[in-house]
Amino acid sequence: MENKRLLSWFATLSLAIFAVLGFTLPSGARSLAIQIMVFSIFAMGYDISLGFTNQCSLGHSIFFGVGAYGAILSIAKMKTGAIGAVGSGLGAGFVVALILGLICVRLSEAYFVIVTAIISAVFHLLAMDMTWLTGGDDGITVIPPALFGKFTQLSLSNPLVNYYFVLLFLTVTYLILVRMLRAPLGKVFAAIRGNDTRALFLGYNVFRYKLIAFIISGVCGALSGALYALTLRYASADFFSFYWSIVPIVWCLIGGLGTLVGCFIGVALMSIFQYYVSAWFTHYLLLFGVLILVILRVSIKGVLGYVLKRGSG
Amino acid sequence: MAGQYTDYVLEVHNISKHFGGLTAVDNVSYFVGKNEIKGLIGPNGAGKTTLFNLITGYLKPNSGKVYLNGVDITGDPPDKICRMGLSRTFQLTLIFPDMTVYDCIWVGLYSRRKRPWNLLFSRIERKGEIAEKVEEICHLVGLESRMDEVATDLSYGDQKILEIAMALSTDPVLLLLDEPTQGVSPKEAENIVALIERLSQKMSIVLIEHDIDIVMRVCRTITVLNFGKVVAEGSCEEIASNSDVQKIYLGVEGT
Repeated sequence: MENKRLLSWFATLSLAIFAVLGFTLPSGARSLAIQIMVFSIFAMGYDISLGFTNQCSLGHSIFFGVGAYGAILSIAKMKTGAIGAVGSGLGAGFVVALILGLICVRLSEAYFVIVTAIISAVFHLLAMDMTWLTGGDDGITVIPPALFGKFTQLSLSNPLVNYYFVLLFLTVTYLILVRMLRAPLGKVFAAIRGNDTRALFLGYNVFRYKLIAFIISGVCGALSGALYALTLRYASADFFSFYWSIVPIVWCLIGGLGTLVGCFIGVALMSIFQYYVSAWFTHYLLLFGVLILVILRVSIKGVLGYVLKRGSG
Repeated sequence: MAGQYTDYVLEVHNISKHFGGLTAVDNVSYFVGKNEIKGLIGPNGAGKTTLFNLITGYLKPNSGKVYLNGVDITGDPPDKICRMGLSRTFQLTLIFPDMTVYDCIWVGLYSRRKRPWNLLFSRIERKGEIAEKVEEICHLVGLESRMDEVATDLSYGDQKILEIAMALSTDPVLLLLDEPTQGVSPKEAENIVALIERLSQKMSIVLIEHDIDIVMRVCRTITVLNFGKVVAEGSCEEIASNSDVQKIYLGVEGT
């Protein structure tokens, strides 16, 4: 009970800080803040899969890439607006998550990890080879369109519009996810995480609930990919690379698995570290690795997990 | 065959299960009547838990049929069988470790009440029909003062009771208990036995138990399994005086 209130406070505070930062930050730092918000959506989604239903997927790069291409291709080929592009990204993400989920979710832990990783590698190879569709490593570049139709006053080429566009999606995603987790669905997820055999013998179709979690998680990944591509105004085969399967795990571990919003801390920490430290030290990831080890040594439940433990005494 | 014995809650007809060359359950037929409490005993590896796994759908039998209330449930998935009114506990106590006692029971109660819309949009409140049922079950098993404690903070005996409470929450007509007093103190075992006796008035129960005294006290009929086969079935006195059973348990040669 106490935890819930603390987490809500933390989430509200984070979103409020993002809202204020939008018009106070200089443009360089603002791009960084946009990136943090986009990745936070990805990380929250990943937490639904790993933190809430114990599914350690290494295939989330697929959703990120599919969302990105869904958005960029719908602009390039169908001349949709930015909202239409996000919609296409989400739709593509949903379809892929459903198909992938039907194949993978049934598998037990280790096999699930391996098979998702392999399928993710296959998608990366396909994206690099199918240059007629994806543009390969060079990718596809688009001119940022209006939000929708001919409404050109609000275009993503305006960085402020871009910023609050992303913040809106972050807020909506958070509200939807937190609502679902506090509804009975969240309790069922917690039960499955606690002991899936017991959940099965209490009358729950564990496969179906894991599939639901996997799809929610995948759609969040696709949304994040779509927003990232719209912000950068391009998508390339690199969006499918294995890197995008690993970073969400790192974000969630740093921030605190199973807290939903803890990953905000993980994303912010990693992005800021990358942005500032990489300028003077090329092997910054080495330092970051040490930092992760230190954080997890102090608290296996990440930064927010540590705060929660302290908060509840 | 279905509904052949309408008085029976559970009918198992000639069920067999092989693991490779090993026959774990060999052509077993087993019947449980309404509000009957039956004991299932036998040495380690006799196939008792395997029989439970076959009945509850955790394992698929190689041959044979299982009926619950006259409905064929052979090969159905465990969650469906559970929703039809068959509940069980496990030898290794399975609970939800990081949830409170209240939530553990709530999840069980919710499983037969879930609908797509309330799954996503309803709020979890501490009042209303489900909340009342949770408290009712807590009172029944004697955990009413510990509803807000996290499951792993309970003593092992109370965890065993919690698991029985969770099994009850799905509103079963038949309850399968797999060694409910294993590893608990004599005093806690006494609590659990008293609970089982109270429950036996409301539902059919099958009890796997190594403590013969408990089985003799609680159950009216006992079935003895050995090497996957039914060796003997009958009242407590018949089983106690059965020479085959004595051989299995005491290793007496000859007679």
